[in-house]
Formats: sequence, structure tokens, C-alpha cells
Amino acid sequence: MSDFGAVLESGVELLRRLPRRRARVEEARRAAAEWGNEHPAAGAQLVVDVRPGTPVVDYDLLLAHPGGGTVALTAPSDEGVPWLIEHSTHWAAGQLVSVDDVHLSVAQALTMLRSLSRRDMTPHDEIVDQCLILNEVMSDDEPLTTEDLQAAADEFRRGRGLYDRAATVAWLEQMGMSPAQFEEYIGGIARRRRFRRRKEAELAPEYLAGHRSRFDRARAVWAVGSERWTAATPAELLAMLPASTGEAQVTIGDRWAGELPEPLRDAEAGAVAGPVEQGTGFFTGAVLNRRPAEDDAETLAAAGRAAFAAWLAERRGRASIEWHWL
Amino acid sequence: MILILSERLDDTVDLVLPKLRRRNVPVTWWDSGDFPARSRLTAAFSAGGHRITLHTEDGPLDLSTVTAVWRRRPTRSAASANVSEPTHRAHVDWQAQFLLDGAWDLIPARWLPSRREPERQAHNKIIHMARAASLGFSVPETVFTNDPAELVPAYERAEGRLIAKQINSDSFTVDGADHRTYTTVLTRRHLTSRHLLRHEPVILQPYVPKAVELRVIVVAEKVFAAEIDSQASRTAREDWRHYDDDRVRYAAHELPGDVRRRCAELVASFGLTYGAIDLILTPEGEYVFLEINPNGAWGFVETRTGLPISDAIADWLAQGESDE
Repeated sequence: MSDFGAVLESGVELLRRLPRRRARVEEARRAAAEWGNEHPAAGAQLVVDVRPGTPVVDYDLLLAHPGGGTVALTAPSDEGVPWLIEHSTHWAAGQLVSVDDVHLSVAQALTMLRSLSRRDMTPHDEIVDQCLILNEVMSDDEPLTTEDLQAAADEFRRGRGLYDRAATVAWLEQMGMSPAQFEEYIGGIARRRRFRRRKEAELAPEYLAGHRSRFDRARAVWAVGSERWTAATPAELLAMLPASTGEAQVTIGDRWAGELPEPLRDAEAGAVAGPVEQGTGFFTGAVLNRRPAEDDAETLAAAGRAAFAAWLAERRGRASIEWHWL
Repeated sequence: MILILSERLDDTVDLVLPKLRRRNVPVTWWDSGDFPARSRLTAAFSAGGHRITLHTEDGPLDLSTVTAVWRRRPTRSAASANVSEPTHRAHVDWQAQFLLDGAWDLIPARWLPSRREPERQAHNKIIHMARAASLGFSVPETVFTNDPAELVPAYERAEGRLIAKQINSDSFTVDGADHRTYTTVLTRRHLTSRHLLRHEPVILQPYVPKAVELRVIVVAEKVFAAEIDSQASRTAREDWRHYDDDRVRYAAHELPGDVRRRCAELVASFGLTYGAIDLILTPEGEYVFLEINPNGAWGFVETRTGLPISDAIADWLAQGESDE
């Protein structure tokens, strides 16, 4: 056998014994490097073919032919794995996360990222919440009304500043979506929106009855800064704020009592809370007036939103959540 | 009485059940996985006849009163949990399954899609492909083989656009993790492991270019077709079971009369009353047959297209009751 023939035979033996798992590629590279050192004239290079979605890898060995040119060797052995299994992929190869019965594909997740809007949540948590709602609408086959679709489309466009047809078309082009796909996409949003609205309406009365003081309407003032403001009355606090030294953030506004900073949530009108430490500074605040919750539409809507958030949190606690690649 | 054979968590049954209730027909939903552990079956023969009674959690059911059976997704008969010795369990399962098969044979009811045997035959890809071709469907140039020497010629005939599929769906693991085999266009890398083909037969087909994919649902003589625009998604382009619901559009599709008729004929030719047929509509407008799944899913078709399949199934099941 020629010298090159012997190199080929040895190269095939090398390939047949390399470990064919992604986790052991470095080990394979070291073995190939050692082999290359033993056959310097071959100019050997190992090519690692990492397949997506499977731990199985393939190898090729590139060698210099003595007469010029390159010889590529590949030599998978028979490890007794049937062909289709050898070339199969992990069941979640194209998926990002599974939440109960919803398996969110990478493509869906990328599209979903565009519609995430909560600043008080991580994208991970918001994706899980969206998946929980997807679980709920999976078997919803009730037709959507034109109003449902229009409202969802309007809300979607407003949220992205797509105020005219040209802006919407440009956005679709950027997303690689056809008008028909956009319609399908909006249909999905409309279904989830309808579920949310109905759930909020269903839960609102009971939630309001159980958390009535949270839906009092309160006008309050509060300041956060480096100074420890001490006041006996709201008027005293309001008077001292302009004269304070250092930087301060002052808020005067109307809120649902449940949305006020924690020290003020249960405070009566006229009461002053603080100073209390907050972050690196101090908080002082006062409730200027407080009106008991009413059963009007605005209050019920707020109670519905809070009830839905609570329902979602409870649902999240019970859900099976599996991030496939984290 | 209508008997629905399916597992308790089958939400496809939930699509039909309310419609049967609206038609005011009595229904029993039972899973054969409850037998013999949680249900009792007695077939009693006496001079001149027999009586088969099934005792479920809902009470006794005289099987001669059953007019239609919907065999959806029943689980296999299983022994009680405290029958723990594996050979004893296997013994019980075998005895139970055998008796059930016999009992089902003796019920003078209509079946959707069929009793077990016709469905099993129709499910076999080599059989249904031959049947489809004989009925005039256009079928891809297909090879069923475990001969490694067949791979490269098939690849060349397909001009490098060859796909491989399983003979039957199955579950398996690689390094302990569940893996799947999807329809994928083969690469030259696949050819280098041709020797592994000897371990299992596979299906080799040229990749058929798609305008859209179609799932056709046949309920007796009614034919519903849904187009799945999988070409809009990079993920689902080669196999819509990768599901990319944001981008893949589903819509009702009007089949040409001859294709529609052929679909109904194919289902009927196996003695089935239901079938889910997968077709491809090529960019040239040709309808190409891929396969029939005699108990294939239809819930997603109805949900996404509004095609009234659950109504058709409810109508078919209730038909015998209203005839009485």
C-alpha cells in the first residue's frame, strides 16, 4: 500500500472512533489534532458538522492529496441506530417554551416579542402569560365578530404608532408578513383579547366586593428624595416641599387606592405617612382626599383588570412551564 | 344509544358532545382503558341468542341498544393497578382486548370510522397509496424500502430534492430525550449513512412543490377541505406539523369535483365512514395524494376554518337514533 493509502486507512479508523456527540466535540478535535501530528504531510483538518436540534454530530476529515487537491473523508460506522432515528431531532427542536398544552415555536415567540407591552415584567414572564391565555383559547371556536377584529387591529396599530395604511404596510414588509398572514395574526390577538375582556367582566364584581378599599379613589401627594420631610398635615407637607434642598421627585395625582405607594394605600384622608426609607432616600406622602369605591363602570373595569392579574398569577403558579433551551 | 369510545381527556369529543345533546340523543362516553379495571362486561348466551352488557361508572348498558359507535381515541384495555406482576398484567390485557374485539363485532351498530381491523388496514401507507393510485389520484414516485442501495438512485431521480418519512408514526428517544422524525428534505449528509437504512424500512419520495397543503376530512359522503398555507412559514414549509400558527394561514378550500369524489371513494373503499386525507396542491394546480389517516385529527381544522365537521359527525352518529 502507498504511504497515502496507509494515511487514508488510518484516517478512516480515526473517524470511526471519534465520539459523535456535541458534548464531546473537543475530545474529537484533540484526537484529530494528535492524528494530524502523526501524519504531518496529510495537512489534516477535522470538519465538525453540528446538526441543529440533536446531540448527534458528523465529522469529515480533509486531507491533502500528494498530487495536489483535497480528499474529503467521511466514515460513519454502523452503531445499530436506524437511519431515521439517526437523523431525527429533539421533539422541541423548533420550540422555545412549553406552557401546559401550548408549545411556543421560536417563530411564534419572535412574533410575540413584537407585541409585548408590559414594562413591569420581564419578557420571559410576559411570554408565559401569553401562553397561559393561548391555553385558554385553544378550543375557542366561536367566530370572531367584525367588531372584535377591528378593535384588536386598532389597538395593535395604535400600540405601534401605525396610524395610516402606509405605516402598516411598511411594518408588514419589515416583519415579512403578507396581508393574509396579518389578518390571521390579528385574529389570534382578537381571540385572546376577547377572552381577557370576558374573564375581567366575569371576575370583576366578586373581586371588587372582596377588595373594596383598594378601589377607593384617592388624591394624594408624595415625595421621594434625600431629605427626611416631617409634616403633621398634608398642607404642611405641600408647603415644605418647594423649600427642600437636594433632588426630590414629587407626585400629586388621583389614583385607585390600591395603586398608591404602599405607605398610603390604607391611609385616611388627611393622614401623613413617613418619612420612611425608600431605596437610597426617604418617602413622605399624604392623602388629600379619599372617596369610597363605587360600583360604576370605571371602577368595575379596574377591578376586572386587577382580578385578571390575580387569576393569571394563580394560573401561572399551577402551570407546567418548561423553557427548552435555558 | 350512541357509544363514544375515547379517553376521558379527549377534547375532540367535547366538540361533538354538546351537539349530540342538542339533538336529544342518549350518549355514553366510555374508555376501553377502563376495562376490566373499572368496568364489567358480560356476554351471556342462551338458546336462540345472546346479550352483552357493559357496566360502566354510569350504569349498565345493553350493547344491543347501541345504534352508532364513534371509536375516537380509546386507550388499551388495562388491568387493575394492583395486578402488578408484569406477566399477569399482560395476560389480563390480552384476555380483555380479545373479548372486547369480539363484543364490538357482535354489536349491530354503525361505526365511525370503523371497527379496528378496517382502520388498521387503511392506516397502512403502502396499502392506501396503492388504493389511492388505483382510484386515479396522482401520487408521488414513492419507494418503500430498507435497501441501502435504493437511496442514491432515489436521490438522483428526485434531482436532489428527496424526502424520507416513517412507515408509521412512532416514539423513540436519543440519549434519553424524546425525538421526532419530521418530513425533511434530505441532504448529501444523509446519503453517507445509507448503511443504516438496513435497520428499518422507510418511505422515500421526491419533494412535491406546494402551493398549499390540504387536509381533507371525509364524514361519510360529506367532504370538507382545508388549505394550510405552510409555505408562508420557514418553520412549517416542509412539514406543517412544526406548527407556526402566527404565519400559517388555514382556510376552507373548494376541491374540484373529481378530487372531492375520489376522496369520498377512497374512504368508502376501506369500509370507513371517516378519514383525514392529506393532499398537496402544486403551483401547477395538480392535487397530489400523500396519505390517509383513518382517525386523523379534525378539531384544528374546524377551529381554524369554521368548517362544520362536528355537526357532520353529530348528524351521522344521531342518524340511527332518529330513524327509529
